[in-house]
Amino acid sequence: MTATSAEATLAPASKPIRSTSAGSADSLRARMGRRLQHGGWFIAPFLVLFALFVIWPILRGIYLSFTDANVSGVGANFVGWDNYREAFHDPLVWDSLGHSAYFTLLVVPCITVIAFLMAMLAHHIERAKWLWRLCFFAPFLLPSTVAGNLWQWLFNPGTGMVNYVLGIDTAWLTEKSTAMLAVVICTLWWTVGFSFLLYLAALQSIPDHLYEAAKLDGANAWHRMVHITLPMLRNITGLVIALQILASLQVFDQAVVIYDFGPGPEESTRTFVQYTLEEGFTSYRVGYASAISIIFFVIIASVALGRMWLLRKREEGVR
Amino acid sequence: MGRPGLNRRQLLAGVGGLTVAGSLGFAALGTGADALASSANTRVRYWNLFSGGDGYNMIAMLDAFRKANPDIDVKDSTLQWGNPYYTKLAMAASGSRAPDLSVMHLGRVAGFAPGRLLDPWDMDLLAKYGIREQDFNPALWKRAVIDGKLYALPLDIHAQLSFYRKDVLKKAGLLGDDGLIVPITSTKEWFDALKAAKKSTKKGLQTVGIHANDQNFSWWFFVAFYTQLGGTYFNSAMTDVVFDEDKATQVLEFLRRHVTDGYAIAGAADAEQFMNGSPFVWEGNWSVPVYSGAKIEYGATPLPPVFGKQATHAESHSFVLPHQSSRGGSSNEGAHRLAAYIVKNALAWAAGGHIPAYTPTLESAAYKKLTPQNEYVSAMDHQATEPKAWFSGSTGTLAARIGPVVASSNLGSAKPAAAAHSMKNVLEKLLAMKNPMDGKTAAQGGAA
Repeated sequence: MTATSAEATLAPASKPIRSTSAGSADSLRARMGRRLQHGGWFIAPFLVLFALFVIWPILRGIYLSFTDANVSGVGANFVGWDNYREAFHDPLVWDSLGHSAYFTLLVVPCITVIAFLMAMLAHHIERAKWLWRLCFFAPFLLPSTVAGNLWQWLFNPGTGMVNYVLGIDTAWLTEKSTAMLAVVICTLWWTVGFSFLLYLAALQSIPDHLYEAAKLDGANAWHRMVHITLPMLRNITGLVIALQILASLQVFDQAVVIYDFGPGPEESTRTFVQYTLEEGFTSYRVGYASAISIIFFVIIASVALGRMWLLRKREEGVR
Repeated sequence: MGRPGLNRRQLLAGVGGLTVAGSLGFAALGTGADALASSANTRVRYWNLFSGGDGYNMIAMLDAFRKANPDIDVKDSTLQWGNPYYTKLAMAASGSRAPDLSVMHLGRVAGFAPGRLLDPWDMDLLAKYGIREQDFNPALWKRAVIDGKLYALPLDIHAQLSFYRKDVLKKAGLLGDDGLIVPITSTKEWFDALKAAKKSTKKGLQTVGIHANDQNFSWWFFVAFYTQLGGTYFNSAMTDVVFDEDKATQVLEFLRRHVTDGYAIAGAADAEQFMNGSPFVWEGNWSVPVYSGAKIEYGATPLPPVFGKQATHAESHSFVLPHQSSRGGSSNEGAHRLAAYIVKNALAWAAGGHIPAYTPTLESAAYKKLTPQNEYVSAMDHQATEPKAWFSGSTGTLAARIGPVVASSNLGSAKPAAAAHSMKNVLEKLLAMKNPMDGKTAAQGGAA
């Protein structure tokens, strides 16, 4: 974020620097100086906080990952790559990574499709538009603890509403086969509102005249959907999927609330972030927890960079 | 409306000045200002983890202490129970910002680096305020001593109990002439009682709540019944695992049977069902104020001795002195005085369900009048506890690793024998592991 805002400030001024004479370069320097003098002070508080609460903890985390530091910070020894070696052979690292990935695989397609359908509905419905929007978006405003507790009750085998309404007798939260599914259902209900809002905004920005022209050419509703709506929503779909992947990989709070900080039946809902927390703050192994969180950081960054690379390739292909 | 006569620079300077002044003000509040305000000479900073009914009781006890000792200003802070509490305490103790006094589960003391993150109690000072070893339950006192020094002053035990509804049990013919549940001494008697109680239970309610899917409760109940069978975990030198898989399997099969025979519904809201008419629930004694407040007819016994021997899981709240590099002086003495006062005046605490560690209170007429406390007070004499090791104690590493294994057996996703084997693996792994706090394994001094 800092890089981009700094570039934005400097870019227009820095371009002519190579092609101009020394004199104008001087005046340029003066201009830049003035800009920094004014702008610099405004971004300074942000830069200080960013360095203090983002850059410094990251550097510190990298350092700690090479030590056997405990939570008290006293008596830490440098252990080289030991933590990383241990993480590689730790079955719980792989299990919890698998659970986070499984959750992501379930959530991302569902949320994308459901958000799109809800947006279509809210966009085309004529009566009580505001009510639909409110209903679809409202759960997103709840804190995760509320959402988690709510669904813990709804899934309750004896008195829960889910079984009652469906007329079934499923032990949602205590069976390995349904445990993660329960977390997914809670998450869909709780977070779909955000993607819904993105889709709704995108739908509203498609110019009406495209549809009118298509109608004049005899395109039916299906054709208009396939040839206008979906292509026009391609960018927003890409955004929704990317944001959801990154958010879902980091799943933590709702699962932890639903299972009262436990790992779920047969430890089937322990996510990677939860395992990191357990190692760091239950077992007090701050060095090891730092190492596995650095590994997780690398994985998430790779996913994000991979997506950017794919997107760029596709854009180049289009050109 | 006119604009204030300030330019931007003056405004920024003003806001900045206010911020600095404000933060200095808060800093002052944190140090001496409140001690000055209360005109007390000594300030004792005290951390605890009590919320709900326990929180009210503790505050009432602190207020009584303040009234009796106006020269001491007690600054108490209540923090969230469980790992967040212990993490903050460890960090404060290592960073020389430790409170003068704090509460800790006795089982966690061994893992809290006694000597480095905890300071030992000054026995002379304790004696000055009337604390003598012979006034405490010996089992508790022994657990609080590490390397010959007392690191924790026990306040209570909180035990796992079998709560029962008198109205339902009466219909089922399970109440004796004294109005209490008939004695149960074997698994057969227990399941017969459940069978009889089930017939008198409202439709849709389970017969007994055993928190089958909760990792903490599952582990606590296991500890109770495994102890009833005489099971142990490690040899005394803490070098070998002596966990008995056969006994463990027997316990796990017993717990599992509650679910398979339809007496317990896994995942049900156990306490709420009990208040709604479910005949039994196994819960900690901290539920006493909840059930008494709900005005239901109920009793509470220690967990039934189904394997012949009395034993119920118990943990203990105790007072500890978090490490301070310059511990001493009036605050330290105040901490000793406060802890001694609360331990000796814990009747209000006992009313909240806990069994007092201080035997004169335990034997007082006032305590003996409390119901259902007087029905389960014997739990003090047959406590089943986790092994004394650095990884033990409430919500500690052992509970976090082994609890889910018990729960998976309860729920049927792992066979009891397989779960018993997994439990042994967990114990072996932890025994070989070094305590992250001091780099020592249990055999090297993680436990005493």
